[in-house]
Amino acid sequence: MATIAAARARSRPAFDRLRCGLGHLMVYVLLIVGLSMTLMPFLWMILSSLKTATEILRVPPTFWPDNPTLANYLTILNDPKLPLLRFYGNSLFVAVTNVLITLFTSSLIGFLFAKYQFHGKRVLFGWFLLTMMIPGQMTMIPGYLILAKVGLLNSLWGLIVFSALDAFGIFLMRQFIESLPNELLDAARIDGASEWQLYWRIVLPQLGPPLATLGILTFMHNWNAYLWPMVVITKIERRTLPIILTWYNSQHSTQPNLTMAATVMIVMPILIVYFFFQRWVVRGFTMSGLKC
Amino acid sequence: MKGNLVQGLLVVLLVLGLAACRGTQEPASTAENPQPAETPATAKAAEPVSLRLWTHQNNAFNAGYEALIQAFKATHPGVDITLETFDYDTYIQTLQTAMPAGEEADILQMFGTWTAEYAERLAPMPDSVMTVEQAQQLYYAAPIGGYIINGRLYGLPQEFNCEYGGVLVNKTMYEKAGLTYPPAWKTMDDVLADGKALTQRDEAGVMTVAGFDFNASDPASFSFLAGVLQLGGDYWNADRTGFTFNTPQAKQMLQWMVDAVSKWGVLDPVLFNDTTNWVGSAFFEGRVAIGYIGTWAIAEGKNNYPDFADEWDYFFLPSMRGDPVFVADSGWGLTVSPNSKHQDVAWEFVKFAAADVDNALQFNLTSGTIPAIPEVAASPKIAETMPWVAKALQILPYGRYLGAMPDRDLVIYDILYPHILNALQGVETVDDALQAIDDEANATFE
Amino acid sequence: MSTLTVGRAKKRGGLWVSQRRFILSVTIPMILYSGVGLFTIGWALVLAFFDYSPGRAGGPILGLGGSNPFVGLKHFANMIDGVSREATQFRISLRNTLIFALAVLPLNLAITLPLAALIESVDRRLKTAFRAIYFLPVITSSVGVAMMWGYLYDPQRGLFNAVIRLFGGTPVAWLSDPRAQFLGVSVAMWAVIGAYLWQDFGYNLVIFIAALQGIPQEFKDAALIDGANPRQVFRKITIPLLRPTLLFVCVMTMLSSFQVFDIIQVMTNGNPNNQTRVLVLDIYDNAFRYQRMGWAAAVSLVLVVIVMLVTIVQMRLLRTEWEY
Repeated sequence: MATIAAARARSRPAFDRLRCGLGHLMVYVLLIVGLSMTLMPFLWMILSSLKTATEILRVPPTFWPDNPTLANYLTILNDPKLPLLRFYGNSLFVAVTNVLITLFTSSLIGFLFAKYQFHGKRVLFGWFLLTMMIPGQMTMIPGYLILAKVGLLNSLWGLIVFSALDAFGIFLMRQFIESLPNELLDAARIDGASEWQLYWRIVLPQLGPPLATLGILTFMHNWNAYLWPMVVITKIERRTLPIILTWYNSQHSTQPNLTMAATVMIVMPILIVYFFFQRWVVRGFTMSGLKC
Repeated sequence: MKGNLVQGLLVVLLVLGLAACRGTQEPASTAENPQPAETPATAKAAEPVSLRLWTHQNNAFNAGYEALIQAFKATHPGVDITLETFDYDTYIQTLQTAMPAGEEADILQMFGTWTAEYAERLAPMPDSVMTVEQAQQLYYAAPIGGYIINGRLYGLPQEFNCEYGGVLVNKTMYEKAGLTYPPAWKTMDDVLADGKALTQRDEAGVMTVAGFDFNASDPASFSFLAGVLQLGGDYWNADRTGFTFNTPQAKQMLQWMVDAVSKWGVLDPVLFNDTTNWVGSAFFEGRVAIGYIGTWAIAEGKNNYPDFADEWDYFFLPSMRGDPVFVADSGWGLTVSPNSKHQDVAWEFVKFAAADVDNALQFNLTSGTIPAIPEVAASPKIAETMPWVAKALQILPYGRYLGAMPDRDLVIYDILYPHILNALQGVETVDDALQAIDDEANATFE
Repeated sequence: MSTLTVGRAKKRGGLWVSQRRFILSVTIPMILYSGVGLFTIGWALVLAFFDYSPGRAGGPILGLGGSNPFVGLKHFANMIDGVSREATQFRISLRNTLIFALAVLPLNLAITLPLAALIESVDRRLKTAFRAIYFLPVITSSVGVAMMWGYLYDPQRGLFNAVIRLFGGTPVAWLSDPRAQFLGVSVAMWAVIGAYLWQDFGYNLVIFIAALQGIPQEFKDAALIDGANPRQVFRKITIPLLRPTLLFVCVMTMLSSFQVFDIIQVMTNGNPNNQTRVLVLDIYDNAFRYQRMGWAAAVSLVLVVIVMLVTIVQMRLLRTEWEY
């Protein structure tokens, strides 16, 4: 390192240093321009949600609200046709249940594929990853017909039953569990632990980071899901947040102050979660990309 | 330590999940099986009956149904009726999947023209409730027509659906523009002249007020169909087995609509159409001066825009030529599911709601719809609260039934209107649009 | 391994039984469950050859036959040269989907690759902050994104037209004018592409950042010492080392843009004049609005074939590329 630094310093007269400084400035300018373009839609949404019903209709629009007000949020919270708590509950129920199931099945099956030898293991692994790589648009129609047959349309369980196995999750867990030393398992076996106990007591406690990553990804995926919930749920009181947002928009399409406030209320929870788990989330997405 | 943390987290999540599950499931199940108020004394005498009623989502209609349910419950102790509403598209989807599974509600709101499609899965009305003859005597021919399939009655209409000819007119704008009010239109050109004078644009040239907005799916489609008839053509072939949309009359009518946009400039079809600035809302936001829309939009508009300050009224347009012949499309009404455990009570409610003159009157007043019963239409109360219905009474006799299409919604909303819109927006020529309508509409017979 | 052999030697029988029982108790439910998946796929394939609508009673097995007749390849023939509404809409949707995917890919790379390099070059703490903020749109619900952007594009009250008015330009009806075009593609399509890019770019960005971090600093430093300028280093060293990531990103971006639905359904629902109608929207409309499930299954089969082809091509390319 020292030699490189020395080499750099030697080859750099004052002029070069100035140019380098300007270059650095340019980098920051570009990054900040990009940053403001990324944040502008959020800002516009929040500002619009703070405008009064009369101000929002003005053409051309104002940028900063003249009299910022929270009235739109109160209107939404007090709308008897929009029991928001129930919709948060629906979304939370679907997302949390799916997270729990995915974490359980992925770690268990990952464990199986990582630490056990049995006939047909490779075939099973390949076949069943293949069935899960079929895009959802194809299985959507028969899936819907199955739910209709068994009476799970309009039930939140309809959003859960088909997502019990997750290919990425199994991959991730298998990878991770493979790196655990076999000695650990064998020692427990000698102490008389059953295989399930191995899973629960030995393996699962080691899986903190990948479980957290997978959990967050699964949570976000379900929380934001739109197409499948729209197909399965038609009853208003069973809907999840994204569908209720478009429904609310169709009812109040001419009052953007209200629809933007509703959007804020539905988008914000996940952004707050993200704020706290930012590192995990980004890492999870990166892993999901670099895997496969 | 770490392991305990993960396990603890799992347990917490599980508890959370169960709690959320409870929170969402319990109220839902009580909503599905509502328990009638406990009255131990009468509980044994009259077995409690609970029925479900499904309707499409429209605030004014739903208010009407709520009132009917309250009135019915008052006179029928032990009966409970729950109203469940769905957006228009969702309602169709729900009906089509719930009915094969036998999970539909006891009483179903039906659009008259749909009834033929669903008849196999609906309960025919017992003669003891009402015979076909009695129904034909009670109702206007167009609305009851949709509910009679192969000589059997499948439900009763609650309104006369008339999408043709009615316009909302903004009096305040008329007076500001110095035009004669109330409008004295003799021909459709008079309407266009008013529309042109009422149109406003901002300094950037963007239309802010459309003078005459007829560009929504129902008005555009039904004025087109009526225009074809008034000009002496027809969109059905002689034996009604196929469509003829590519006729000289159709061309003349569509060209007229295109000219209204491109020559008269009464409307910007890009800024004012079914998806942006829908006329039923835009009128009550002061962005349309003459707004072509069925009477049903009035109650909805009043409901949604209580603060709209401009003065306005509802008028009927002159015909393109000769008599104001038009096509009518039945109307909303009530039918009963054959899977209902209490069909007798369900029919009683249908009759109570749709055939009792007082209740029908009340429903039409609340929902702002044209009565399906002539006696109700003639009521002074209607003339008083909904003067436009009195005006509609003059053209109602000219109404013809739309005709039994294989898929009415598909033809009107996904073939006719989109191509009319294309022609108005100038992305298709009149000839191309008509050719496409003709091809695609005839393909629905397959 | 040694402990395991010891264990086995001692109580081999008991261990084997309990392990086998464990394997079976996990694999059997798993096989049954993915059996349902296989059944679903089979059903989807079969549906594509029937004129099936759930509203009709049909035959005894899965409602196929009877009033839901077998039609053979009719749907596919219809896709190629039918005149019905659904046939023309399918062809439009296919074309739009290709346009969408082919436009999104280069634009996405043009944004994310340089941006990743810029972010990679700044101070470590700032880097984390930048990355975190640039990633915000990715985790925002796509419906929320569609709502925000729908309002940004509002012809009268949207921010974009406000800026245009500020500079004295003519406002544009971004999402509803079927006549407005740019480079032969409708403005409405560009508008939804814009919203999609905004939501999606952060994903590729973090992947590129991670990949850039994986390139050993010594490579670059060596080149710098040899007198190369930073741009040359980027072109000659960084890009070639990024190739596997680049390929992967290309394919993932393609695949997800072939399956775009949420943003378009909410922002334009395929309007104006079907100019933003894409395949998944077409499948959804046909299956669940018009109940033409047989036809919709046929369209989804076409989509799946396209997706599979892209995936296979990608796997081939990746396999050869990986051996640099």
